[in-house]
Amino acid sequence: MSFLVPAAGFLALTLPAIIALYFLRIRRPTRIVPALNLWPDQIRDRQANVPWQRLRFSWLLLLQLLGAAILVAAAVQPTLSAGTSLARHSVVLLDVSASMQAHDVKPSRLDEAKSEIGGLIDQLGPQDRMTLLAVDSTPRIIASVVGDRQALHRALDATNATNGQADLSAALTLAAGLVRPGDDARAYVFSDGIVGPLRTDSTNALPFPAEYHRVGVSGENVGLTSLVVRTEAQSRAGYLHLQNFGQQARSFSLEWRADGRLVDVRPLTLAGGQAEDLVLPVPTGATLVSAHITAGDVFALDDTVTAVARAPRAFRVLLVTPGNVFMEQALRVRTDLQLDVVAPAAYKSSAAYAMTIFDRFSPKSLPNGPFVMIDPPAGSPLAGGPAVGIGRTSATDAGDPLLTNVDLRDVHIARSQDLRTSSFGRPLITSLQTPLVLVRDEPFRQALFGFDLHESDLPLRIAFPILVENLSEWMLPPSVPSHSFHPDEAVTIVPETGATSVTVIRPDGSRRTLATSSIATFGDTDRTGLYTVEQLVSGNVDRSWFTVNLFSEQISQLKPADRLTLPPVNTTATTHALHRGQLEIWPWIALVALGIVVVEWLAFHRGL
Amino acid sequence: MAALLDPPLLRRLEALALQVRRTVSGQMGGERRSNARGRSVEFADFRNYTPGDDFRLIDWNAYARLDRYMLRLFVAEQELPLSIFVDLSGSMDWGNPNKALTAKRLAGAIAYVALAALDRVRLTVFAEGPTSGGAPYRGRRAVAELFSRLQSFPVGGQTDYARLVWPIGKQRPGMTVLISDGLGETSIDSAIAALGRARQEGAVLQLLAPQEIAPDWTGDARLRDSETGVEREFTSTPVTQGAYLEALSHRTHEIESSAHRRGLRYARLSTDQPIDDMVLRTLRKLGLLS
Repeated sequence: MSFLVPAAGFLALTLPAIIALYFLRIRRPTRIVPALNLWPDQIRDRQANVPWQRLRFSWLLLLQLLGAAILVAAAVQPTLSAGTSLARHSVVLLDVSASMQAHDVKPSRLDEAKSEIGGLIDQLGPQDRMTLLAVDSTPRIIASVVGDRQALHRALDATNATNGQADLSAALTLAAGLVRPGDDARAYVFSDGIVGPLRTDSTNALPFPAEYHRVGVSGENVGLTSLVVRTEAQSRAGYLHLQNFGQQARSFSLEWRADGRLVDVRPLTLAGGQAEDLVLPVPTGATLVSAHITAGDVFALDDTVTAVARAPRAFRVLLVTPGNVFMEQALRVRTDLQLDVVAPAAYKSSAAYAMTIFDRFSPKSLPNGPFVMIDPPAGSPLAGGPAVGIGRTSATDAGDPLLTNVDLRDVHIARSQDLRTSSFGRPLITSLQTPLVLVRDEPFRQALFGFDLHESDLPLRIAFPILVENLSEWMLPPSVPSHSFHPDEAVTIVPETGATSVTVIRPDGSRRTLATSSIATFGDTDRTGLYTVEQLVSGNVDRSWFTVNLFSEQISQLKPADRLTLPPVNTTATTHALHRGQLEIWPWIALVALGIVVVEWLAFHRGL
Repeated sequence: MAALLDPPLLRRLEALALQVRRTVSGQMGGERRSNARGRSVEFADFRNYTPGDDFRLIDWNAYARLDRYMLRLFVAEQELPLSIFVDLSGSMDWGNPNKALTAKRLAGAIAYVALAALDRVRLTVFAEGPTSGGAPYRGRRAVAELFSRLQSFPVGGQTDYARLVWPIGKQRPGMTVLISDGLGETSIDSAIAALGRARQEGAVLQLLAPQEIAPDWTGDARLRDSETGVEREFTSTPVTQGAYLEALSHRTHEIESSAHRRGLRYARLSTDQPIDDMVLRTLRKLGLLS
């Protein structure tokens, strides 16, 4: 046992003071009464009547001494050693990601973790400090180097679960930044271990040791991990993927709704670990479809999924070519493009087309809009220098989103115009001899191919339709993407031309207004469900939708990790001896003292 | 010196009268029914005329019918002799409002009611012994003198109720009001018994201060008797205060029982009760005034 305020021990002087007061002769005030014979002859020797008379036994004196002694004991604030080893600075990382909403432990994993952290806070000594970090997709500090236990409890209580995935690496990096070199610090990770990829190499070594406190016990969960609506041959269907992530077989029912109306109910049984794909009908004219399972498992976030069923608005695209079957087929892959193909002689400039592809042809005036120019003929303002032989092709920037999934390793090109001196834009695909494909964002998103596709095997590679898809999506982004996003994922919204207001209505009914002057990034997507985008164009309200679903097998798998491989500890970090946490018991002692005072009061009023 | 009673109260008191249960026997004419025959408008009886009777009382109609002299007798209306005994001992000089001052005002109010009804009032104050308040007062003109005399009496001394027996015993049958706190060393029972023997109709009014009905202090104190000056150390706790209240209740019950045994009215009054409420409500409810 130790004492937090040993100096308060001087209050023990009150005990001899009480006894001294007893020994001192009482000074009784004189009171005149009409008839003394009515007053009983009763004097209690609670105090001496003559100086320094012999101390007589008195219940009141005994209770007063006992009460004072206990109050002194409470004032010095005795503490007991607790079971947890603590550093002077405890860095607590609380996982508040989606999987912490599982209620395999009651009331939930998050509440269980908060309860354990609450116990840790109660054990902090007067010199100890604690930092609390909430770990989700964007880790944040909720209490920074705080010694006030009430403030820590308040911060902890105000922390709620999110629907994102825990980025523990970012959280540890953030925590490491809060600890000064040489500090006596220790990290405590309260999580179910379902976190994003951890960087555990020595370059990310931590300046403090870290402990993993597992929360959660079960991985029994059935989840919906994908829902896509596809249009094929004038019919639409929903493709739903669901999986039993637990080890026990589960029977449940699936409800399939379109625009809130029940379309189908299917009883299903999945064995442990079994997955199943379902094709579900989408009624004509339906805008939104949703699937819901009543599995009664411990995790509800992946039991309901939604998807936008309405096809995105089609773009008209013009291909001007003397003949290019590769480009034509690649463009037809996109169902939301209405492709028109004309010969160069038949070309007429038209504002009806959202994008134009000029293949080996250059009009006298280029359109003011997105276009792709392929092998421009000599005399064109975009034509490059004389053709040069091309060796290996490569991406200028391997991480460029326009080259996502585009494999250029086996692509060969016979020759290409020399675009080294072209001021068209930045190179996307290049070679040792010359840039091959240039792209630019201003004044419109446009692309320039320096070579004839027929003098290359690129159209024969799988990379070609992917490249065309990437370029066309980049040039013609839908005003509102209709596919599903993950929680906390940013959504790019391009206001319609002439839109005077853009408002996003979240699943909980709250509204967010976006700027109409530029492309907006909407990041308030923490809730799962349907998001409605309302744009006011020429007095008419134009509605479009996107959805946010969990769609994460890693999270739905739900089984807490027994071990978490945390980054190594920096060997240069100073090693400090841990001390035991302190459990304060003075409130209980004060409660006993209060009881004694009450007994003393009762004893006085009963004339003891 | 402040007025004993304020004029508005006096005006309201004029509407009251002392209420007696039996006829009275006074010395002078008044407004009270007497057991004697006399002059009034209320017929009582006939009797034969005997020489010496007032021939003005002969009923000439009866003579015409019976040929005999008959006298019409009427109920005589006589004054009510009211005696007021006021305790002005040391124990009465206590409390807030002061018991002695309240007793004087109460006595003044009752006396005023009597004087306004042409009753005769005899005032006696007492402490260690009785002190006469002068010749009996009669008529409204005596009010000022009675009030002045009442206010002039000093307060103090030790109560000796036994010394009230003789002055009470010589009272003519009538009404007596005894105002006291009843807290003297000797018992008030001797005085009340004397009232019964003297065929007095009246009331014993026990006047206490609110601070002695419910003591408002606790803790250690040195108690000093207001009359004897005797001191005693005392520790006031809820328990000891309970014992005091029990003793006070016992004393009060003794006085009440003693009064009722003698056919007297009894009321315990608190000095924090307004004097007009005390007279107009409590004493009317008691049946002393009507």
